[in-house]
Amino acid sequence: MKASFRQSMAWLHTWSGLIVGWVLFAIFVTGTASYYRPDISRWMRPEFTQVEPVDAAALGATAERAVAHLGQHAAKARTWFIGLPQADKPVLDLFWRTRPGEPPGHVLLDPRTGAEAAVRDTQGGDFLYRFHFELHMPPLWGRWVVGLCAMIMLVALISGIVTHKRIFADFFTFRRDKAPRRSWLDAHNVTGVLALPFHLMITYTGIVTLATFYMPWGVTAAYKGNAQAFFSEASWITTPRPPANRPAALAPVGPMVERALASRPEPLERLMIVNPGDANATVVAVFEEPHGLSHEHPQIAFDGVSGEILEVRDGGLKPAAKTFTVMTGLHEGHFAGLLLRLLFFLCGLMGCAMVATGVVLWSLARLPKAGERPFLGLRLVQALNVGSIAGLPAAVAVYFLANRLLPLDLAGREQWEIRAFFGAWIVAALVPLARPQRRAWCEGLAAVSVLCLAVVAADLLTIPDHPLRLGGGDPLFAWFDAAMLLLAALFALAARKMLRYEAPKRDRARGAKPAPVTAPAASPARPPARRPEPTHA
Amino acid sequence: MTPLVLAANLGLSFAALAALCLSLNRHHAEVFDRKAERAAVLRLRAFGWAAITLSLFVAGLWEGWAFGPVQWIGALTGAALGLVLLLSYRPRYVAPAALAALVAAALPLSILAVSA
Repeated sequence: MKASFRQSMAWLHTWSGLIVGWVLFAIFVTGTASYYRPDISRWMRPEFTQVEPVDAAALGATAERAVAHLGQHAAKARTWFIGLPQADKPVLDLFWRTRPGEPPGHVLLDPRTGAEAAVRDTQGGDFLYRFHFELHMPPLWGRWVVGLCAMIMLVALISGIVTHKRIFADFFTFRRDKAPRRSWLDAHNVTGVLALPFHLMITYTGIVTLATFYMPWGVTAAYKGNAQAFFSEASWITTPRPPANRPAALAPVGPMVERALASRPEPLERLMIVNPGDANATVVAVFEEPHGLSHEHPQIAFDGVSGEILEVRDGGLKPAAKTFTVMTGLHEGHFAGLLLRLLFFLCGLMGCAMVATGVVLWSLARLPKAGERPFLGLRLVQALNVGSIAGLPAAVAVYFLANRLLPLDLAGREQWEIRAFFGAWIVAALVPLARPQRRAWCEGLAAVSVLCLAVVAADLLTIPDHPLRLGGGDPLFAWFDAAMLLLAALFALAARKMLRYEAPKRDRARGAKPAPVTAPAASPARPPARRPEPTHA
Repeated sequence: MTPLVLAANLGLSFAALAALCLSLNRHHAEVFDRKAERAAVLRLRAFGWAAITLSLFVAGLWEGWAFGPVQWIGALTGAALGLVLLLSYRPRYVAPAALAALVAAALPLSILAVSA
């Protein structure tokens, strides 16, 4: 290819951005929503607001109830996971795996009685969170696809920086009222450049969090295939103990919980009981992260039979391991308080906007001249743009709506919510194929707006103690609905803009291209007839 | 502490970025309808970079040097987004808003300084 370095980078930016753009948009949207995963989960399980939190003194007895339930229902399982009641999830969350290939067991228990908790069957925010890095595919496949997209995203970011000629001179430039391609390019640049530290950080750390999964060979070679040894040396887990294959009764976990609680200020997050019923059973108490950038859970391992402390994992990481946990911590942003979290969220939204404006720009730069028919690729890209930029938010809104409207006793309710999500997305992606461009955008954006309003309405109607109905109740619902109203307003505004938009005069005179934006119109720097090669788009 | 520090950071960042923005001819003309004088440009740039540096130190000193830089960059991004939107929709308000932001930053800063 005979071109300058910058031109080849522009080419790279254009095509790397396009091929992964739609998946990236989905990753960005669900990832941004995941900053509020606990809040979304709690909103989707309104029953939780009725459960009174368990205080630390009663935690030991609560854990005993969990073990009793697991002993009855999962005696053959190799590992039990017991999520202890938290402020945002005030129930026992039990999970176990019996053997590979068999579906894992999962149940929520009332922490006071040990009976099954009366909570609607939903994945809550966890669905969006897992979608963010697994795309609801089988985990191995999903993570590979997301990793590939993230790496291409990194390529697009760096080639984009190279391509951006006037990164400093145009730092604050957003010309809304100029020719469409100019405005969209400005929007793309501004959302990209202003939040560039965030974009680079989030993309890079995103890859790093799954680095040992993408490139396991270093660990395989250095630890002779024993990945567990690596995990334990990196302080992710306590030293694993193989089963002794001799049965022995599990000691009461209550005293272990109390000992663990007495040793640290952080709340206890979960217990992991490995090889229960074996003479080498291990009980690992995992704490919440202490306040800090680094993502590390302190852990205490107990001998499951004698109840003695085997090992305490608490900080003291070597530089490489520390670098890794800090990167993971930065990516997840657990440390962020209310305001900082809002800033992270805002940066995430700017990421969504950057990807969205990027794929729209691609189609704007290739609009046919008057009288020409759009080529098939362009039609496809245009339809996919609507299908993802309006379709995914619509699907998320439908997911929330399904959570409120599906009957509570529906079998497989959790799966139906997810089916509603994908059903809505498929419809939203197919309809634009059959509609004229501008119509499709208007309808898509308006549909999102209406769906967000519907979520608020459904919330108000189905939650008896909604704060807006009585003035009491959990403020979470009011906040969530306010956010939905804000989104509804935003999408309504966008739809209105799309409806009212008039192409620059020359194009109208030529008559009725329904596309929202046409031709590289009047920009003094650019003669109108020129095709869009050099700058990136 | 964090909300105060973040408020101070946001205010400082906004004022700093507004100054840097007004030191660019195009935006200066948008806001004031005339070209910037050379001396004014230098003053605006000096103030802008100084305020950005000060903001880093405010964040680092009160939040620690682990959280400080994260919050500093976050505040800069948030302030920049606000500035760009304001510049696009209401360019006339940029200068008064920058002054207001500076005053708004001074308040939490003085509280922090007194309590330190």
